[in-house]
Amino acid sequence: MIGGRRPLQGRKPGDRRVRLERPHAPYFRYTGRGQLTAREAASAPTTPAGQLWATIRGFFFGRPLASEDELGERLSKKKALAIFSSDAISSSAYATEEILRVLILGGMAALAFGLEISIAIAVLLIAVAISYRQICIAYPGGGGSYSVSRRNIGRTVSLVAASALMIDYVMTVAVSTSSAVEQITSAFPILYDERVLIGVVAIALITLGNLRGLREAGNIFAIPTYLFVGSALLMIGVGTFRIVVLGEGSTYGPEFNEQVSGTLQPLTLILLLRAFAAGAVALTGTEAIATGVPAFQPPESKNAATTLAVMALLLGVLFIGITFLAVNFGIGPATLEAKQTVIAQVAREVYGDGIPFYLFQGFTALLLFLAANTSFNAFPRLLAILAGDGHVPRQFGWRGDRLAFSYGIVVLAALAAGLIVIFRGETHLLIPLYAVGVFIDFTISQTGMIRHWLRERSPGWRRRLSINAFGAALTGTVAVIVTTVKFFDGAWMVLVLIPVLVALMAFVHRQYELQAAELHVRDDGLLPGPHRDQRVIIPVNGINRAVVQAVNFGRALTRDLRAVYVTDDLDAAEALRLRWERQLPDVPLVIVESPFRAVISPVVAYLDVLDQAWPPDVETPLTIVVLPEYVARHWWDRLLYNQTANRLKSALVGREHTVIADVPYRRDH
Amino acid sequence: MSSSAIPAFRRALLALNGGPSDERIVRLAAEYAARTKVELIAVHVVEIDWTLPLDADLGARSEEVQRVLDIAETIAEESKVRLEPVLLQARDVGAAIVDEAVERQADLLIVGLPYRKRFGGEFAIGRTIPYVLQNAPSAVWVVRDPISEEPA
Repeated sequence: MIGGRRPLQGRKPGDRRVRLERPHAPYFRYTGRGQLTAREAASAPTTPAGQLWATIRGFFFGRPLASEDELGERLSKKKALAIFSSDAISSSAYATEEILRVLILGGMAALAFGLEISIAIAVLLIAVAISYRQICIAYPGGGGSYSVSRRNIGRTVSLVAASALMIDYVMTVAVSTSSAVEQITSAFPILYDERVLIGVVAIALITLGNLRGLREAGNIFAIPTYLFVGSALLMIGVGTFRIVVLGEGSTYGPEFNEQVSGTLQPLTLILLLRAFAAGAVALTGTEAIATGVPAFQPPESKNAATTLAVMALLLGVLFIGITFLAVNFGIGPATLEAKQTVIAQVAREVYGDGIPFYLFQGFTALLLFLAANTSFNAFPRLLAILAGDGHVPRQFGWRGDRLAFSYGIVVLAALAAGLIVIFRGETHLLIPLYAVGVFIDFTISQTGMIRHWLRERSPGWRRRLSINAFGAALTGTVAVIVTTVKFFDGAWMVLVLIPVLVALMAFVHRQYELQAAELHVRDDGLLPGPHRDQRVIIPVNGINRAVVQAVNFGRALTRDLRAVYVTDDLDAAEALRLRWERQLPDVPLVIVESPFRAVISPVVAYLDVLDQAWPPDVETPLTIVVLPEYVARHWWDRLLYNQTANRLKSALVGREHTVIADVPYRRDH
Repeated sequence: MSSSAIPAFRRALLALNGGPSDERIVRLAAEYAARTKVELIAVHVVEIDWTLPLDADLGARSEEVQRVLDIAETIAEESKVRLEPVLLQARDVGAAIVDEAVERQADLLIVGLPYRKRFGGEFAIGRTIPYVLQNAPSAVWVVRDPISEEPA
């Protein structure tokens, strides 16, 4: 009878049928010849503790998703502009402030140079954008600086790019979050003292969302960018009208001058360069579109290149516009007293103290949080690519229950939250660490593209090469400037960190290569069966069901087996020997007297002696140590059993020519 | 065919024979079920000849037999439709299909008909379809394979 079912009678006599059980069905599905696909139930935990943990995880992170549930949505240009540009566009919220923070050291008059510096940075932005358009066209599969340099330059340089990128992503989260919090505290100064807590909680929430499998492709992620861009353009339009047409605006007032009189420096080229380097953070995130080309609707490269141009234009307009308003409204950087960011002061000047101001601050904060979220997608993906190439531990390439690269997400969150705590949530303290990695990446990408064009020599390669060569030279120069002028402000940390990360990744890669070489099996010829002798050693504590089961398992493996009993009680040993010879006469029992009462070491020493006694001209046999184990029924009584077996296992793990086999004895009732 | 032109069914039983017509039947039924919420039951019958006992351990252990229903379930899932798979052993496939449909109160039976020709070129309809058409109390849809798919 199959499945315990009786034949079912049909309508006519003789028409009988049997309904068959399908025991595999809840857990697996046959999807091809010799191929099973596990269903959700097969991955579900079976122990009560595991089920409880799964319930808790399900509550926080949602139910597990199958790989086929991953969204493969292609983005339109409008959506892609919003999603990929949030990082770049959001930098306009703090870039002006960073310039003014430096210029103020040169006195009130120096602040007026803010506009010229922002225009210079916008020119740099155009050059970088034109260069990155080449990457969009050359690498429709996505041209992150790591992959471009990996293909065109070499492993070490690509690791430098990857390290710089990783630092860049961590800094994006830290800077964007702290700036978002500053926008909130600008609107509600009462929250200023809680900024670190707010920042850490915000990162925790973004982390939770990403661990739940948050995707960037949703409309919800496009909205904040357009809300910010719309309200910022309106602010620039209204502000410019008031300044240019109505003649409003003011000079930097004497009271402001007094506030900073103690810190004045002469206006020098160095100060201007420092201001330029500080404002260069506006370019962060420019490369995001080139990295995400495959996510665009076809023709991917063309759409990505167009979107990149629009993004650069928008960023340029916003950055120059906000700086223009700040300079002409006589706005200075946030001070401890004012506790208002430059962009918040500009918004208050244009929109007044009413609802529009609070809305604008809300849009800005939302956009900055969104910018932080982009790194939560990019950083784990980069780590997954590096894991695939064997440069970081493989677990960074594993996807969690919700298809997210959970390890990468958690690492990013921990690092960014740590930075916010260390730097007390002050954006301007974090900025010096930021732009260095970005410009190193730009330079490596552009240099990689030079090699690309030299190798490909496709139509128009000379023009394209010259564009990328110009981009490389320009970004390389800026990288040197940024690093030099920010060196003592924190850029040195990045310069130390990059070689450390490169060395670490090279070390990990070397370890994986060694392991692969050790495990390598030639792919030609038949693989022969076992050719070494093997023997079984069974440490026993007497005769009981678990021991008998282990002995039977050993008997099934080889005829060369023996039991070992370690004791300091010779009377007990003799009693065991008598019983053993009576009940298990075909299995030799070796009694090891241990006057010092040690159990583990004598077993290991006995194995060593056996190996040494083996004929030197014969290959050492495989020693299988069979450990009888009693399966505890409850989690709390595990402490009562198998402690000696566990210690023995720890002592034998990694021993040459040795295999450890647990033979668990499970009670039926 | 618009859904308004089809009478509303409550439960449909799909008879799968493990051939190429299975996918067509399941897709058709799944598409229909997605619109009308009809319940789907997929039945595959392993025919046991008289030399073996009816409960001989054949179908349950056969990967090939299980795969027929697993593939049907997968196709239905793609259309976000639930499909209950049923595996039977019987002496006569047609009788088992009809009896299962009766027991489960199916009001629609969908069977696939491969296009085959007998020796001599005459179209071969087999034994099962005529039996189902003759004995099934419910409506029966017969989905015949296209001629070009399996030339005689």
